[in-house]
Amino acid sequence: MIVGPCIALAALGLAGGIVGGRRWPRVWLALTLMAATGGLGAALVLLAGGADWVWRSALPVGGEVIHLRLDGVSAVFLALMSVVGGAGAVYSREYWSDREQRRSAGRGRRWWSGLMASMGWVLLSANGLHFLLGWEAFTVCAFFLVTLDGRMKAVRRAGWLYLAASHAGTVCLFAFFALLAHSVGSWELGPMREHVELAPLFWLVLAGFGVKAGLFPLHVWLPSAHANAPSHVSAILSGVAIKMGVYGLVRFSGWLPVPAAAGWVVIVAGMVSAVLGIAFALAQDDLKRLLAYCSVENIGVILIGLGAAMLGAAHGGNGLQWGRLALAGALLHVWNHGAFKALLFFSAGSVLHATGTREMSRLGGLWRAMPWTAGAFALGSVAVAALPPLNGFVSEWLIYLGLFDAVTTQGPAAAVAVPAAIVLGVAGALALATFIKAGTIVFMGAARTRRPAHAHECGVLMRGAMCGLAAICLGLGLAPQLLRPILLRATAAWHPAWGGVDPGAPLVPLGTASLAVAMALAVGVVLVFAHVRRNGLNRSVTWDCGYATPGARMQYTSGSFGDLAARWFRWILRPERRLRRPRGPLPDGAVLVDRHPETMLDRVLRPASTGVLHVSTAVRRLQHGRLQSYIVYLVAGIAVLALMVLLGGSQ
Amino acid sequence: MTATLNVLVGLAMGLNLVALGSSRLPGLIRAVALQGAVLGVMPVLMHAMDWRVTLVAIATVAGKGLVIPTLLRRAMRAANIEREIDPFIGFVPSLLLGAGGTIAAVALAQALPLLPEHAGTLLVPGSLASVLTGFVLLIGRTKAISQVCGYLILENGIFLFGLLLIHATPLLVEAGILLDLTVGVFVIGIIVDRIQRAFDTLDTRKLTVLRE
Amino acid sequence: MTPYLEVPLRLVVLLGLAPLLPGIINKVKAWVGGRRGPPVLQLYYDLARLWRKGVVMSTLASPGFIAGPAVAWVAVVAAIVLLPLGPAEAPFAFRGDVLLMIYLLALARFGTTWAAMETGSAFEGMGVAREVSYAVIAEAAIIAAVLSLSVQTGSVSLSAMLAPAPGAGAVLLAAGLFTVLLAENCRVPFDDPNTHLELTMIHEVMALDHSGPPLAVILHGAAVKLLLFSLLLVEAVLPLGGVSAPVALAIIAAGVFVVTIGVGLVESLLARFAFRSVPLLLTTAFLMCLFALLMAWKGGAA
Repeated sequence: MIVGPCIALAALGLAGGIVGGRRWPRVWLALTLMAATGGLGAALVLLAGGADWVWRSALPVGGEVIHLRLDGVSAVFLALMSVVGGAGAVYSREYWSDREQRRSAGRGRRWWSGLMASMGWVLLSANGLHFLLGWEAFTVCAFFLVTLDGRMKAVRRAGWLYLAASHAGTVCLFAFFALLAHSVGSWELGPMREHVELAPLFWLVLAGFGVKAGLFPLHVWLPSAHANAPSHVSAILSGVAIKMGVYGLVRFSGWLPVPAAAGWVVIVAGMVSAVLGIAFALAQDDLKRLLAYCSVENIGVILIGLGAAMLGAAHGGNGLQWGRLALAGALLHVWNHGAFKALLFFSAGSVLHATGTREMSRLGGLWRAMPWTAGAFALGSVAVAALPPLNGFVSEWLIYLGLFDAVTTQGPAAAVAVPAAIVLGVAGALALATFIKAGTIVFMGAARTRRPAHAHECGVLMRGAMCGLAAICLGLGLAPQLLRPILLRATAAWHPAWGGVDPGAPLVPLGTASLAVAMALAVGVVLVFAHVRRNGLNRSVTWDCGYATPGARMQYTSGSFGDLAARWFRWILRPERRLRRPRGPLPDGAVLVDRHPETMLDRVLRPASTGVLHVSTAVRRLQHGRLQSYIVYLVAGIAVLALMVLLGGSQ
Repeated sequence: MTATLNVLVGLAMGLNLVALGSSRLPGLIRAVALQGAVLGVMPVLMHAMDWRVTLVAIATVAGKGLVIPTLLRRAMRAANIEREIDPFIGFVPSLLLGAGGTIAAVALAQALPLLPEHAGTLLVPGSLASVLTGFVLLIGRTKAISQVCGYLILENGIFLFGLLLIHATPLLVEAGILLDLTVGVFVIGIIVDRIQRAFDTLDTRKLTVLRE
Repeated sequence: MTPYLEVPLRLVVLLGLAPLLPGIINKVKAWVGGRRGPPVLQLYYDLARLWRKGVVMSTLASPGFIAGPAVAWVAVVAAIVLLPLGPAEAPFAFRGDVLLMIYLLALARFGTTWAAMETGSAFEGMGVAREVSYAVIAEAAIIAAVLSLSVQTGSVSLSAMLAPAPGAGAVLLAAGLFTVLLAENCRVPFDDPNTHLELTMIHEVMALDHSGPPLAVILHGAAVKLLLFSLLLVEAVLPLGGVSAPVALAIIAAGVFVVTIGVGLVESLLARFAFRSVPLLLTTAFLMCLFALLMAWKGGAA
């Protein structure tokens, strides 16, 4: 039994990090890396075939004894948390160093350890009360990390929005755990599929964890928080923190009975999230906001897989097979998205660090100054667009296989599997457009302003973190066959009946094909390069668009690039456009401003909350401090009660 | 025979989508005319050769396939209308709406309690889809003539539904509707011409200012 | 035959024959237009010439400018290897290979578009934006088409999906796939392969700054992609399951020839569409594939 010591090691490292992180950055880094290794080790040992790890202590916290438990499902998330947490710690040593951020660097290290510890606690805890405590601690840690650089108003606003939205979700979770504990009679969590009466609680789970996961339209807090946070924080928020919402959904859809409509609702919500998330991403000009919206899309992809799994579990028969395939894809996508999104946020942070801006229209031509960052971003783009031979493809392929099998069985689930498969394809194509835009506008062409001209490559620690994550993206893509036992273990932990079912996913030939494609790509690129070198290569201006003096501002901008496809989603994007055309023979100037507002926040949530405020202000007039009126209320209340008794009695 | 009928109804359903997707008036009118002609053939297929049925079929084909389209084309030419359709709901969205409606109609028809001899045919879904297409055209187009085409497709849907009752009710009712419609189109043709002369536009959005 | 022998053999044949297709199309166009036209083997000459030339590379471009076309070419070639040829199964068939093929084509798109954006020219930006935007609808159409084949055969492997007789929706499927073929290969109603310096194009504009061997790679890759889509269309629509291998190969070759001539005729007889009606046409293709899927479904249920 090596799992227990590993977790103890991780706990020790994180506790040490919280205590000593402020003063001793090197010790903190070592401790955090130790904790990450411990967590990853525990998770991998368990996934590779170890038994479930359960630990009970006699020590009561809040009246409940501590009960920890690590099984296949939570191990998947623990592994992801450890990897991104460790990589982010390495990255932040340089990105948010004491030299540059004297005021907040030490604080940031502490909160970072706290965030990792509280997320680990949520993953391990098998007690409703402790789960809620950990959940709250995790939210608070994330809030302080988002607002590390609290001098800017946008950052503070993003932080408050995050906190408010998270608590709106936490309210649902409070209600959920309280009702659960009330009807079961204990705060202990575990498989309880036999309690059929618990099924309606799933809607609370969906709302509560959906907010955290950034499910469309509950994602309102996500873009601003992820865009305004320091980039290593964005990476762990996007890569791991929103996955905690997914963890909650996976966990409680596996442990509790679900209503009949649950699978349908989840898969449809996933479809909406996938398409609209990436449509919003395509329209953005802010690099980190684009990445944040892309996370909404990927959560959608994961939920498509989860929804299909729930449908398969409800369907029975061969539904067990395709449901398991889809769930395997969803869980693998949790890993994959964590890896490539953290990689992309790291490279975006590196760009921000070097140029001081996130606006793509001000960037351009960065590859020469930052070749490592450009390469990392390109690799991440290939992965996020789900292209072979990288990891994003493997998980989407598994989800596709599940959906295709659901369609060929022509059961009732096929009616939703057909649109889901098409949506997956559409979202993939839109993701390709989005990341071609982001990658090439930022790193290729000529510098659009003076800022990128003075850019510099990031240092060795930031580069190291990026290279590590890139290696994971490559490794998971090239050797998916290694994942088979892990995925079998994780999916079997979700649904007990799936233990003996063979999902029939030929990961071995896929791995061979990926490897062959990767090798062919390498050979092809090398051959073409060698040939070009042999023939001779001239550098020159190739084609000037026919203009005498082509300027950098003549390049395609991110707005013009995304406009074509974004126009199809005008009904929800609601772009605000201000245009003043040049007039007359000697025009004095022209203006074109395109802005994509946060539609759900500005058009739906804000009016709704203003309405609530109005109503409550109106209601507040009832409370004015005049005793006479209060007595009138009292008498009126008694009269109404009397009337009710009277009418009730007469029946 | 059911197979041939289904192919014809399928063709009519395809023409619905063509009508929704066509961006020019002549194309739209052609689609509507072709659909009318296709529908006109159906009674003959469903019924034994009867002189009354044959007569009605010929009348339908002539009316829907020739007379009404000719009237519309003439009105279009006389009023000198722009050929481009100016949509309220874009072509791609209306096409997707129509396709979604068609799929929904097929799914709905399976749930309806139909007579066993009608269960295998596409008549009911075809009729529902046509009615829906008609509505989408009526809602989503601005020109008076394209709205008339919407009415025609709507009527085609009702005609398809009427075919279900071909054994029960005489074709007189259908013939009556057809007559009404022909007269209606005739009148609209004249009105369109007058409106065009008086106000220089046929855009229904602009005609709303004519109220009092 | 062992795969070690079969894969190179197939590659030689397919890659060798691919440049014929654009030649045939041009010949058909010339014939309809009453001209003599370039020789059928013109693309071979062009490729050979380009392969020997040096490269002029924009001062702004990164090594990705050369790597992109190479990646795209390898991806397309890998995709065509996955395609079975009638009864001769693909040397590398497995469950789900069809999705790998679709995503390899997407990888090829990534390579070409990334390389095109390298120079920072607004022309390339325009072309790339169009290419990736229209690909969204084309992707939906391809997935719908693949789903319909999958429903017909109950399989997710290309070798099994393409073998049997087509279902009721074959005509719809053929029309949908042909439209997608035209769009994906930037043929006439969507794009004009003849115009090189106008604002009305998608694919040609992306190769505007390329020269020498990378351009040769792009052109050859485009020819292979055309061959791939023609093969897919022919095998999806024609029943090849029951016939013997030589007959099937002959049928496939004839089918590809017919498709190529069809492309040539479309190009001679149609004008390029206005850009705003391109999504409409692609949506139509998507709906045709979708209705083919529904017909396959109803056919399977009945």
